[in-house]
Amino acid sequence: MTKLVQGVRKYGLLAAAACAASGAMITHARLPAASPTLEGPVKVAARRVTESQYRNIIADTFGDWVQVNARFEPERRQDGLLAIGSTQLSITPVGFEQYYGAARSISDQVLSEGRRATTVPCTPRDAEQADDACAATFLRSYGERLFRRPLTEAQIDARLATARKGEDFYDGLELALTSLLIAPEFLFRIEVAEPDPSGAARLDGFTKASRIAFLMWDTGPDAELLAAAKSGALDTPEGLQRQVARLQASPRLADGVRAFFTDMLQLDAFEGLTKDASIYPKFSQTVADSAREETLRTVVDQLVTRNRDYRDLFVTRETWLNRSLAAVYKVPFVSQEEWAPYTFPEESGRSGLLTQVTFLSLFSHPGSSSPTKRGVKLYEIFFAQPTPDPPADVDFSKVQASSEGTVRMRLIEHMTNEGCAACHSVSDPVGLALEHFDSLGQVRMLEDGKPIDVSAVLNGKQVSGAQGVGQFMRDNPRVPATLVRNIYYYGVGRGFDERDETFFEQEAQAFAAAGYKVPALFGQIATSPYFMKVVIPSGAKPVPARPEQVATRHSADSRRGAAR
Amino acid sequence: MIGRRPIAVLTAALSGIAAGGVLAEPAGAPETVGWTRTYVIEWYEPAMYYGADGGVISPGTDCPGGTHPSPDWVKVLMDAGYTREEAEWLRNPANPTRSAVHGQPGMAFRGKDRANVYDFPATATEAGLTPVSGTIARGLDLDDDPQTGFTSPDGGKGVDNNFYKALGCWKTYRGPPRMSSGAQGQNDGMREGAWTIVVVVSGSGADPMNDENVEVGFFHSRDKIVRDAMGNVARDYTFRIKPHERQEAIFRGETRDGVITARGVGNVVLRNPGADPELPLLGSRLELEMAPDGRLTGLIGGYRPWLPVYKGWIAGRGAVIEVLTWVEMPDVWYALRRYADYSPSGPGGEKSYISFALTVDAIPAFVMEPDGARQVARVKSYRVQAAPAAQRTDAAIARAHTHLTGGNVE
Repeated sequence: MTKLVQGVRKYGLLAAAACAASGAMITHARLPAASPTLEGPVKVAARRVTESQYRNIIADTFGDWVQVNARFEPERRQDGLLAIGSTQLSITPVGFEQYYGAARSISDQVLSEGRRATTVPCTPRDAEQADDACAATFLRSYGERLFRRPLTEAQIDARLATARKGEDFYDGLELALTSLLIAPEFLFRIEVAEPDPSGAARLDGFTKASRIAFLMWDTGPDAELLAAAKSGALDTPEGLQRQVARLQASPRLADGVRAFFTDMLQLDAFEGLTKDASIYPKFSQTVADSAREETLRTVVDQLVTRNRDYRDLFVTRETWLNRSLAAVYKVPFVSQEEWAPYTFPEESGRSGLLTQVTFLSLFSHPGSSSPTKRGVKLYEIFFAQPTPDPPADVDFSKVQASSEGTVRMRLIEHMTNEGCAACHSVSDPVGLALEHFDSLGQVRMLEDGKPIDVSAVLNGKQVSGAQGVGQFMRDNPRVPATLVRNIYYYGVGRGFDERDETFFEQEAQAFAAAGYKVPALFGQIATSPYFMKVVIPSGAKPVPARPEQVATRHSADSRRGAAR
Repeated sequence: MIGRRPIAVLTAALSGIAAGGVLAEPAGAPETVGWTRTYVIEWYEPAMYYGADGGVISPGTDCPGGTHPSPDWVKVLMDAGYTREEAEWLRNPANPTRSAVHGQPGMAFRGKDRANVYDFPATATEAGLTPVSGTIARGLDLDDDPQTGFTSPDGGKGVDNNFYKALGCWKTYRGPPRMSSGAQGQNDGMREGAWTIVVVVSGSGADPMNDENVEVGFFHSRDKIVRDAMGNVARDYTFRIKPHERQEAIFRGETRDGVITARGVGNVVLRNPGADPELPLLGSRLELEMAPDGRLTGLIGGYRPWLPVYKGWIAGRGAVIEVLTWVEMPDVWYALRRYADYSPSGPGGEKSYISFALTVDAIPAFVMEPDGARQVARVKSYRVQAAPAAQRTDAAIARAHTHLTGGNVE
C-alpha cells in the first residue's frame, strides 16, 4: 500500500515559462516552499464532469452523431464558481439512473448494426460469441479516451467478464461499454499525484493532460495529449508548453472560453429564470436561450476570434443578435442568417456585458429590476467580492412597494437602517446607475412616471448610467485581476488560498503586460507551476499501481537508497 | 395625438427607423420621404357592429332576434323532398356524409331536381338569412354620400357596409370584436404562421401626425408572426417583405392629428382574413389612427366581389360550414346577391360587388426589404419582384377552411 509521506521538501522550481500565445516570456511565481513527498500515486481530487464536458467527451470519443438524451443533475456553486463546487459533488441514485440511461443509449448507438463496422476496430472471430481479444482492443481504445488515462489490466478484465455475459459479441460489448460509461473514472475527473524521481509530489501526466484539456477545450485530452502524458513530456516545462500552445492555437479554445464564462457569469441561472408575463410579455424560453447565446457569442467573438482586450467587454457596443433578441432590444434584425453581429448606437446607453439581456434579466426580480441584485452580482462576479445575506429582521416592504416613487427613493430610505447601509452603500450605487434598463433589459427612461436618475458615485468618482459603469469597470484593475483568479480557480477546482496571493499578483501583471488577451491568459495560467500544484487532502487514497508506476517507484526508492 | 416626449425620441433612435432614399414609384408618389413607420397586422376581421350588451349570440340592436338560429336540418331536407326516414339517415353522424360515387356530401343535393345547392344555390328555395336590421355599422363612407348607409358608432353618417347588412347576423361573423367564430378561426391561422401582413406608412413632411403626403402599403412577409407570453402578437419583431404578384395594396392620402385618411392606388388586393384568401377592393379607402401607444388601428373599406365570398365558404366544406355556423349556404348566396350595391360597369350594370370594411389592428414592427439587407424607407410596389403566384385553386380555399374548422370535422 502506498503511504503518504508527511515530510515536506523543496519542489523543483520553474524559473520561467514561455507565454504560449505571444511567445513573450512570462515570469511565473515560484511555488511556496512547502510541498509534500510521496511514496506512490494517490488520488488528490475528484470533480464530477459537467454536462458540457460529458457531451464533449462523448462527441470526441465516438463522433458528434451520438445523441446524448439525458437530464443531468444540478451543479453546485461554491466561492462563485461551479467548478469549485464540482469537487464537492457526488451522484444521487436518481442521477445515477440518468447516467445509466444515457450510457445504455450511447452504447446502443455506438454498437448499432449500422455503426459497428466503423466504431469497432476489429472483427470478432464469431459475432455470435464473446471474443476477448477483439473486445479488449475496443475497450483499451475507447476506455483511454473515456477515462482520460489507460485502463489497468484489472479494469479491462472486469469489462471482459461483463462482455462475456452478452447474448453475442456485440451485445456483450455493449454491456462492457455501458460499464465504462457509468464508471467513476469517467463521470469524475479523478486527479492523481505521484512522486517525481526525487520523491516530491507532482500531478501525474494524465492529470496534467486533463487539467489543461478541460480548461482550454472543455473536454478530455485528445490522443496527442494522452501520448504526451504517457511519454512523460508533460512533466517537463517544454513539453507542457508545447501542448498548451497547441491547445491554445486550436479553434476549440472557444469551447473552453465559453465553458469558463458560462460558469463565471453564472449563466446556469437561466435554468430557473422567470418573468411576470403581464409585465414582460416578450420574455420566453427562446429569449432566455438567445440571451445566453448572445453573451457567449460576444465573449468568444471579442476575446477569442478578435483577441481583444478583456476590459473592452464592459464598454463595447458590439453584440450578436437573433430575431427574438432584436425584438427585445427594439432594433431591426438585418440578416438572413440565424445570428448576426450588431452594434448599438452610441445613444442607446448600452455598454458591454452589463447591458445585455443576460446580466440585466438574470439579476432582477421577476416583475421589476433590482439595483441591489445587480450591484451584488456585479461585485461578486467581477470583483470576487461576495455580499452577506441580509439580516433576518429587515423590513423589505418599503423597498418592494413598487408603486411608491422610484426604486432609488425607496432604497435611500432603506439605507437609513445602519445594518443595511453597510452592504447597500456598496451594491446599490452601481445598480442604480443601470436603472435605465428594466428587468428584461429593455430601455426605459421613466419609472412610475418619474424620470430615472442614473447618477452614482463609484470609488469616489461620479458616473452616469450604464456607460459610466462600463467605463468604471474597464478602468478598474481589480476586474482583470479577478479574471486571473477565476480562471485559475476554475482550472484547479479550488478556491481562495491566501498563500496564492503572490502568484495572482504576478499573473495579473503579466496579463496586463500582454494587453489583457484572454487566450494568452489561458495559456499563461495553464503553464504556470501553480496550476499543477499538488494539494494532498487528508485521507488521500492510494491508486492501484500500474506496472510502469511500480517500476518508477522502485527506481525512485533505489535512488533514494543509493543517496543514503 | 401622440406626444413627442424625449423617450419617444430615444426609442425612435434605438429602433433605427430612418428616412430612406427617394424612389419613383408609383407614379405621383411623394418625392421626398420625411418619416416611415412600420407595423405588422396582429388582427383583422370584417367590420361588424355587435348591438347586444353581452354574450356572442344575444339579441341586440343589430339583430333583435339574436344570431340567426340553427336550421332544423331534418325539416330542411324534408322541404327539399326527402322523406323523414331519408332525412334522418342523412343527418345521422353514423352514416357516411359523402357519396362514394361522386364524393359530394349528401346534404348538398336538396335543390330542385336534387341539384347540388352549393354549386347551384339558385336551385334552392330561399329560407332567408336574417339581415341586420339595426342602423349602426362600422365602416367607411365609400360613395361620399352621407345620406346613404349606416351611422357609425360615434355618430358618423353614410357608412357603406352592405356586407355587414347581409351577413351580420350570421354566426360566422356576429359577435363583439375578436369574438366571432370566423374572425377567431382566420386570425388564429394567421397568428400560427399561415401568413403575415406588414404595413408600411411613410410621409414626406416633418410631422407624421399632420402630413399632406402620406402613403400606406400592405405587403406579405416571409417571416412568421411571433406570439408573446400572454398569447398576443409580440411587438418589435423584424419581417422581410415577400413580394406577391397580386396581393398588395397601396393607399395615398394624408394625416390629420395622427389619423390617416387615404384612397387606394391602382390594384388594391389584400390577403383576406376569410375563407376566400384574396380580397380585391374597388373604390378603396382607409382610415387608420397612429395611436399614442404605437399601434395602428382603424378601417379599410371598398367594394368587393361578392360571389367569391360565397364560393370561398362552400368550396369543399359547404355541409360543414352549414352545420357549424347555423346557416343554409344558399341563403348566404341570396343575401349577398340581394344586398350587393356596386357595379364596376356603372350604375345600370350588374351589382357584382358589395360594400365592405375590414377592421385592422397593427403593432410596431421592423419591416425589411425582401433581401433583408435594410429597412424599407418608404412605400413602394414590390409586385414586379414577385415570382408568378400559383393560381387560386379550390385546394387553397379548402386549406383556408381547414384553418377555420380546425380540420377536425367530418
